[in-house]
Amino acid sequence: MKETYQNGRTAFLFILPALLLILFIVFLPIVLNLYNSFFRWNSFEAGKTFVGFEYYVRLFKDPVFFTALKNNSLYAIISLICQVGGGMIIAAILEDKLIRRFQPFFRTVFFIPSVISIAVVGLMWQLIYNPEIGLVNGVLNAIGQSEWAHSWLGDSKTAIYAVVAVSQWQYTGYMTMLFLIAMQKIPMEYYEAAMIDGASKINSFFHITLPQIKEMILVGSVITVIGAFKVFDEVYVMTFGGPGRSTEVLGTMLYRSAFRNDEMGYASTIGTIIFIITLILSLIQMKLGKSGQEVE
Amino acid sequence: MRTKILVVLLLMLALVITGCSSSTSSNQDDSDKIVLKFLHKWPQPQYAPYFEEVVKEFESQNPGIKIKMEAIADEPIKDKLRVILGGSEVPDIMFSWSGEFARKFVRADAALDLTPYLEEDAAWKNSFIPASLQPFSSDGKNYGIPLRFNGKFFVYNKEIFDKHGLQAPKTWDEFLVVLDTLKEEGETPLMLGNESPWAAIHYLTGLNQKMVNQEVRMNDYNPRSGEFTDSGYVKAMEMLAELNEKGYFMDNVNSSSHDMVKQMFFAGKGAIFYVELEEFQDVENALKGNWGFFPMPSIADGNGSQKYITGAPDGFIVSSKTKHPKEAVEFLKFLTSKENSLKLVKDIGWPSPIEGATNPDTALKQVAEGVDYMKEAEGMAEWLDTDVHAKVADVYLSNIQLLLDGSKSPEEIIKEVQAVAKQVQNEVE
Repeated sequence: MKETYQNGRTAFLFILPALLLILFIVFLPIVLNLYNSFFRWNSFEAGKTFVGFEYYVRLFKDPVFFTALKNNSLYAIISLICQVGGGMIIAAILEDKLIRRFQPFFRTVFFIPSVISIAVVGLMWQLIYNPEIGLVNGVLNAIGQSEWAHSWLGDSKTAIYAVVAVSQWQYTGYMTMLFLIAMQKIPMEYYEAAMIDGASKINSFFHITLPQIKEMILVGSVITVIGAFKVFDEVYVMTFGGPGRSTEVLGTMLYRSAFRNDEMGYASTIGTIIFIITLILSLIQMKLGKSGQEVE
Repeated sequence: MRTKILVVLLLMLALVITGCSSSTSSNQDDSDKIVLKFLHKWPQPQYAPYFEEVVKEFESQNPGIKIKMEAIADEPIKDKLRVILGGSEVPDIMFSWSGEFARKFVRADAALDLTPYLEEDAAWKNSFIPASLQPFSSDGKNYGIPLRFNGKFFVYNKEIFDKHGLQAPKTWDEFLVVLDTLKEEGETPLMLGNESPWAAIHYLTGLNQKMVNQEVRMNDYNPRSGEFTDSGYVKAMEMLAELNEKGYFMDNVNSSSHDMVKQMFFAGKGAIFYVELEEFQDVENALKGNWGFFPMPSIADGNGSQKYITGAPDGFIVSSKTKHPKEAVEFLKFLTSKENSLKLVKDIGWPSPIEGATNPDTALKQVAEGVDYMKEAEGMAEWLDTDVHAKVADVYLSNIQLLLDGSKSPEEIIKEVQAVAKQVQNEVE
């Protein structure tokens, strides 16, 4: 009995550093953020004024908040389709016997965008989208579709799609890589057996590949959806929420409140909402996938 | 076993200690010096050397003081200042725009009152053009020292103007005729890069000032009493929108950056461009005398004074937390001395707020003329985005792009401005 007690203490000592780290770096800021959202304060002024739930009430009346939510959801949906769906299909094609020889080449090419710094990517795409000298309009003009040429980032109707597209360009390769790793762990025998039984490639994709990489699909979806609700830098670099507020996402809205409008309390409120949204999403996804049971 | 661990720990400790001490020992002789932290916003290679030279000169004249200089560019400094001021390592001297931008730091007791220092040294105080000190004052006290005196003017390409027999317009109606002629002749009349919306806000700065009665406008720009109910605000936006609807602005204003448009203007792709006095040198470098300028034309039915110039000084505030206010002021005096102001004008072509520093001998002819305009003006219309409360400015800034792409009307925008002004009134004590 005494021995187990001592073991327990030793075990506790072992996890103590990690526990402290998590407490101070993860949980304390979350609690502080919630606390701060009840006050009106800014970064350079001493003193805080208690305002209670005023900011929460205001947030749910703020049309920009709903624009931001809509944009974040768009981000999530498009990213799910392109990065998880598209990445998976590309990975499956690269794993095919016919193309496998060239796989290292394509893998590298697709992966490169995700290692470029966001600031560089943002500026580069700003140039690509530029209505006068940009590549997109240049190509459209060259193929005789000048009426499609457009001020992509300058029009409040297309700007958000233009920004989302850049994210797809950047991260689909990353997802492809993750799926490739998962697919390479599937034993070849399954495919050989399926081939002998006369299954088509499409059939073996749906009946062998998909079930075998289920876990990776789940992980990938969690990463992309949560990433979509935390997105900040792409938007910040390319449009900073403009034109008007049309590309505002929760992240840029938070930043604008905190560092432009001097409303740290409002920014904390937005931070709390982002936390709640991502928490709920990850709980749902864990529940759906019963994560952890199938790993290994 | 224990000793081994002890040795390893000691070694790590030694590493940490040596790691720390090496940085302090290198400037050991500075330990008894007064260190002043100086933050400005010009890291660009064409401007930074000026500050380095002035700082070096100051240090050699004042061996007891060491200046630690840091520069952060224009956009990031807007955020950075707010964060720095909340921390414990506040720079002693830091850049600030004038007007409300500085006043919010004054309200937060973050800026030192410089009035006694200016009163003490009358010669220093009188060396400034009076209109350049005023925008840095709050309730009759001075909180900032201007470094530049910046104005906004329309610059035009003389070649294009001569080709169509045009003259610099004096009134808004003449201005519209000029624009119309240019449009008819197939030129791009007005260049505007509104990707960062301050560019169009600068138009509105002047239009608001010219359309709205001065007293009413000052009352509205004050966060404590702002209402924005005057019809002049709507008219000002309508006039701006009209320039766009009639096709006087270039295409794609919202997705072109100011710098890119500047290059296009230099390449002769447009007739008129709205720039700051500090950019005149660039214009001269590119167009080589083949250009002229005029202030925003007067508007016949405007309720504001028509003899104002759009523009404002920018300069430095001193932190209220500084331990060495005397030395900090000493440095500001040095920075704005006649000698260094002449150097400023000569080296980088900026308009100086020091009386007589910007003259035809030191500066470009047009820069000197621009400063004369500002000296003769009845007053300055300070940048709308730094002269009103940050939240009001934000509403204006984000909506002006929508005004120009036609998705929002002036009435809709002013309603939002009024709502936020009301909110601000309740929040500012």
